[in-house]
Amino acid sequence: MNVIRIIMIALTATFLTCVAAAEEKVEFNRDVLPILSNHCYACHGPDSATREAGLRLDQRESTTGKADSGKRAVTPGNVQVSELIRRITTEDENERMPPVKGPKPLNADQIATLKTWIMQGAEFQPHWAFIPPKQPAIPKTLNSAWPKNEIDHFVLARLERVGIKPAREANRETLIRRVAFDLTGLPPTLKEIDLFLSDQSPHAYEQMVDRYLASPAYGEHMARHWLDLARYADSNGYQYDTEREQWIWRDWVINAYNSNKPFNEFTIEQLAGDLLPAATDQQRLATGFNRNHGITIEGGIIDEEYRTEYVMDRLVTTGDVWLALTIGCARCHEHKFDPISQKEFYQLYAFFNQVPERGMQGFAPKQRIPSPLASDSQKVFDVELARLKAELQKPAEIDEQLNLWSKNISGQAVSGWTVVEPLTMKSSGGTTLTKLADNSLLASGANPQKDVYEIVSKTDATNLTAVRLEALTHESLPGSGPGRHSNSNFVLSEFELTAVSTADPSKQQTIKFIRAIADYSQANYEIDKAIDGNQTGNNGWAVDGPTRKLPATALFIASSPFGFEGGTELQFRLRHEAGFSTHGVGRPRLSITDDTPETLELHGIPADIRQIAGKERDQRTTNEQKQLQEYFLAHHNPQQALEQRVAELEKQKVAAIPETMIMQDMAQPRATYLLDRGQYNEPREQVSPDVPAIFPAMPKTAAKNRLGFANWLVDPGHPLTARVAVNRYWQRLFGLGLVKTSEDFGVQGELPSHPELLDWLALEFIRSGWDIKHMQRLIVNSATYRQTSHVGADAYRKDPENRLLARGPRMRLDAEQIRDATLAVGGSLVQQQGGKSVYPYQPKGLWLELNNRPNYSKAYPQGSGNDLYRRSLYTFWKRTVPSPMLKTLDAPEREFCTIRRSRTNTPLQALLLLNGPQFVEAARKLAERMLTEGGSTVDEQITYGFRLVTARNPSTAELAVFREAYDTDLKHYTNAQNAAQKLLQVGDSAFNKSLNQAELAACTSLARVFLNLDEAITKE
Amino acid sequence: MPHPLSEMQIHQNRRQFFGRSSTGIGVVALASLLNRDLFSKETASDASRVGGLPGIPHFAPKAKRVIYLLQSGAPSQVDLLDFKPSLEKLHMTELPDTVRKGQRLTGMTAGQKQFPVVKSPWKFQQHGESGTWLSDLLPHMGKVADDICVINSMHTEAINHDPAITFFQSGHQQPGRPSIGAWLSYGLGSETENLPSFVVLLSKNSFNQAQPLYDRLWGSGFLSSKYQGVKFRSQGDPVLYLSDPAGGSDANRRMMLDRLSKLNQMREQEIGDPEITARIAQYEMAYRMQTSVPELADISNESASTLKLYGDDVKEPGTHAANCLLARRLAERGVRFIQVFHRGWDHHSNVQQHLPTLAKQTDQGSAALIADLKQRGMLDETLVIWGGEFGRTVYSQGNPKAFGRDHHPRCFSLWMAGGGIKPGLTYGRTDDYCYNITENPVHVHDFHATILHCLGINHERLTYRFQGRDYRLTDVHGTVVKDIVK
Repeated sequence: MNVIRIIMIALTATFLTCVAAAEEKVEFNRDVLPILSNHCYACHGPDSATREAGLRLDQRESTTGKADSGKRAVTPGNVQVSELIRRITTEDENERMPPVKGPKPLNADQIATLKTWIMQGAEFQPHWAFIPPKQPAIPKTLNSAWPKNEIDHFVLARLERVGIKPAREANRETLIRRVAFDLTGLPPTLKEIDLFLSDQSPHAYEQMVDRYLASPAYGEHMARHWLDLARYADSNGYQYDTEREQWIWRDWVINAYNSNKPFNEFTIEQLAGDLLPAATDQQRLATGFNRNHGITIEGGIIDEEYRTEYVMDRLVTTGDVWLALTIGCARCHEHKFDPISQKEFYQLYAFFNQVPERGMQGFAPKQRIPSPLASDSQKVFDVELARLKAELQKPAEIDEQLNLWSKNISGQAVSGWTVVEPLTMKSSGGTTLTKLADNSLLASGANPQKDVYEIVSKTDATNLTAVRLEALTHESLPGSGPGRHSNSNFVLSEFELTAVSTADPSKQQTIKFIRAIADYSQANYEIDKAIDGNQTGNNGWAVDGPTRKLPATALFIASSPFGFEGGTELQFRLRHEAGFSTHGVGRPRLSITDDTPETLELHGIPADIRQIAGKERDQRTTNEQKQLQEYFLAHHNPQQALEQRVAELEKQKVAAIPETMIMQDMAQPRATYLLDRGQYNEPREQVSPDVPAIFPAMPKTAAKNRLGFANWLVDPGHPLTARVAVNRYWQRLFGLGLVKTSEDFGVQGELPSHPELLDWLALEFIRSGWDIKHMQRLIVNSATYRQTSHVGADAYRKDPENRLLARGPRMRLDAEQIRDATLAVGGSLVQQQGGKSVYPYQPKGLWLELNNRPNYSKAYPQGSGNDLYRRSLYTFWKRTVPSPMLKTLDAPEREFCTIRRSRTNTPLQALLLLNGPQFVEAARKLAERMLTEGGSTVDEQITYGFRLVTARNPSTAELAVFREAYDTDLKHYTNAQNAAQKLLQVGDSAFNKSLNQAELAACTSLARVFLNLDEAITKE
Repeated sequence: MPHPLSEMQIHQNRRQFFGRSSTGIGVVALASLLNRDLFSKETASDASRVGGLPGIPHFAPKAKRVIYLLQSGAPSQVDLLDFKPSLEKLHMTELPDTVRKGQRLTGMTAGQKQFPVVKSPWKFQQHGESGTWLSDLLPHMGKVADDICVINSMHTEAINHDPAITFFQSGHQQPGRPSIGAWLSYGLGSETENLPSFVVLLSKNSFNQAQPLYDRLWGSGFLSSKYQGVKFRSQGDPVLYLSDPAGGSDANRRMMLDRLSKLNQMREQEIGDPEITARIAQYEMAYRMQTSVPELADISNESASTLKLYGDDVKEPGTHAANCLLARRLAERGVRFIQVFHRGWDHHSNVQQHLPTLAKQTDQGSAALIADLKQRGMLDETLVIWGGEFGRTVYSQGNPKAFGRDHHPRCFSLWMAGGGIKPGLTYGRTDDYCYNITENPVHVHDFHATILHCLGINHERLTYRFQGRDYRLTDVHGTVVKDIVK
């Protein structure tokens, strides 16, 4: 380990700083602080609880003053008498620092550095990140031709110091592909490439950049990065990980980026939009940011324990995202490295502790706010509703409708229902079924979890068309209602009938019901669920027993008339097998009829009305006409259908906008206490909201709430906010930030590779009015960014992480980019903005194998059509089982805020890209494009496909490999038509049948090679 | 992100070996060479290791690998492993407040007015020379009683499943930390290039009230995602996307990979980025997995006597027994950490109905695994663990007639066996009520420290710097339970 460390330090020294030589001035922050922080602060740092010997080495006063022992750790200018040097160099293990059981020992270089530092006067510097950025002078460079903007001066000056030349500019194909991926997450189209290649104007590049910045895909791509920070997901996390609908908030982010909302507003609205004066709905929606944390619904949890976790998550996330500080370290004790006390932690905590929320099922507060991207789909509802409502206003042509209806009912004979007498009745669960005088059956006694009533009757009737089930009430039933459950409800999971000939019992018929009608059904428990063939699950007919307690009637219409000549035995089965125990029908009664199905709805029309209807219009008395019309309007008002349609649409319109969880403060503030060891049940002193003392204070006039806090964050004098944001933009584009530890700007974080550049960018960000697009444009337009990444192995070996920026960025694309690009080059990407999350391909069983608990689980509801081909940021994000396509490629679970993703290189990725149906199908789509759009020769077609993937033409050597592959595969598939067809059938979309199947299969194989090339999944 | 230095080393080495042109060299050989972390190879005790940190193991390990049979839902210690004759007398008496000591209860029994003690309805017997007490629900485990170490003094803080199992898996109740297996992959690397070093097997679940599992339980937290556990499934492809697409063939696949390698190498010559070389190697490992994984899952060459040992269930993929056998096969092939998850132990009611079912599902496979490892001489170097995330209350949840048992974090039992653990030992004691620990408490952090110890790792020195802090599996806690390790 030490060997590596030394090499590392040597390397770092060579490339980054060139210090450590004794004659050079030691700089505290750069050279000394990392040593003290890593090796000493655990016992001699900011945390008073673990401080030893009364010595703290993070402050000059204590360092040079007398410790408990009376000795001075450091006497500036005098190494000999400095106790610190004696203690780190002594041979005596009992005395030597750091202690044997403590942090890692110091190496010779580190000791030398400390000595030099003391010799030079032991000066301290405040930690760089806590000092507000100062406008740096733009460095002069020897090469004045290379820089394209200020960024390049900083980068080049640094390169010139170490005598390295920047790389040449990348070629145009590489550049447009790099820019397209970086600004939109998508590959350039051939049209875009050709336009750029042919544009000879001096500003061709900048204009190309502007085109991508203006693309709606820009907002989606930027939002996708933000979603990692915001730990956005479509599920609630924790144990059951049920679904949530927070996607309208996600749409807000997309819209914010596309409308280039300034970062200060972007910040204020997300952290405190609800507290803005006259807050708009959209500003309230923005606050969903801090409701994206997990929420538990596990039975038995302690409410306050989890509510506390939610507040912690909010604070820690906010600290990570805006301050890049590991605030969470001060939850249980004083921060070990950064000057944030435990009390200060809880003062910050107090800002986020005011939400009127619960730990268990803590989804409130919520609000129904439309998506800023969904205005079109909302308009569709409004237009249709306006039309229907206008129609409702028209005087109904009642007369005409009434005449029609009268004619209709008068012509039909109605014989009505015959109640059947139950001859035998059995209950699978041991219920006692007692026949009452009216031939109904009263259930009593045992009340089993699940029950099937088998009721047998006989009839001589034939041509039976329907069966009626009356669920009657009885005083002996719970609440005198119709069901056996204590709440008076029942759930009939299935109603079945078998008809058996009495003359010849071998003749049997299972009656298929094609339609069911009920006079009452509970929402989501409609009567048709009793004839859907699904006997179990949560599926059945129920009648709102808890609130209604009234009888209900259902009619079941047979697909064809039944009943045997010579008598029929009717075997009814009432199944109660849904996931609801003790939900039996309390008092069923069964009837049959041979009326034609069309007349079934006439049942119940009183005889006198039918008689009046039978008369001609002019034969009726005025009174009769009135009576008829009143009945008609009450029961068959033609406007009723319209009204129903309006109600239905209103419902759909509302359902299209789910409630989004948002922030809100309680009217009466909740008291906040310092929590001992961070435990929810160990409150100590009460604290009030405030910011840590290391930072500029909040203005006296500022409200001490989230709004005051958000305003404080984006104050131009804040040392961190702008730096942290621009550093992340840099990281997005170059793979690493100027501060590599983009999640930690604290004492333990790494120093910026280009501190002045970082400050210049931060101040430029503020100066521009926090213009996010401006910053992307600035970086992307720099000569630094435009360098080629094709610099040879030597350069990669010398500076593996490209900290010096002597070449362009080269890195594997993110999961979403890889999938989106694959869909895009195959032409199947559906570019529809916003809306509910979708369910693309996923291997079967992944959800249920982890969770199959009824009511808390379901199978992955794989989508179809367009849903399979949307951009990946719309993929349903289930925290406990993330989409394997994305997760395999390092997408995080989003259980918490992620500032930097891993970028790994694994065999599972190879398997996914080679064999995943989404990718195989996309390869076939690409092959179809090659064959239909690519030109007439095979070489042209190959070149076309390769260009779609890489934006460039293949070399002669590459083309030769492709051609050999294609020819070999064509031969193979010509002889194996069956295999060809199977390959072409992968995926939901149909393959192009007009193409030669062997050619298409060979071309698909080649497209798979294209899509699996390192280059295809890499930004070069 | 790979270590920049090892990347560099790999790159240099490749250059020295192949010169500027490498097209003539077999790609498989190339890949196996490239895949190896050259730094760790110098320091690792085992030269066949891939990856891992230099300097680890810190001392000679007793165990090379771990098979962890995790019983999700929390098995009842008082009915399985912690024999309590004292309950005969206490049966149906109220749990005294002096025993309960105001301990917090879950929301499920916090409102209960009475807490009647319910003794185990099952008999316990002593087994083997060690005289280890085991419930009659575990007849097969009785046969290997001399090989296991029962710990009756486990304790944890969490009282609900999600935080408790997350704690067991990662040393922290809230999501975000690496799982044990991920820590081991990171620290110790792998002993195989054909399989992942951390494999997860899920039992099929028959009890529909079982607690769910989540990917984060085998996740890598803040460690690189390459360290996360790979789930081997009993339905569909054992490893996601393992099979070639329909219409593909083995010859096809090999040709495609050769072309990819060739093209990627051409590109690498031009650009010089060592990531390209790494990519070639990963495609080769994927290719090897396409052969090694189906071979692994195919148990047709197992002897009849072995299959008999595991019982009839073994022939049905996804049963606990089948997964135990699979675990042994994975262990043989150098997989570092194998975790079998069996769900369904959460019996809040009707313990008498449910517990025998679960015991039967897991007893024979677990015992067979130990016997099988032993007969192959592998038990000494394989640490086997069986246990849940907490225990269950001695008092009845709900009506004592159909008694259930609520969650109990204050004491519970698990067993460990094999690599580095003293066999035939029963460790730790609880009070007459099986409610509090009276002797040798073992916290989850201690348990973690002990696992790492068996693998030759000082748990205080397996660290990862994240957000400015050196994190450990054991946080800032944990003491190796010296009494139970060899």
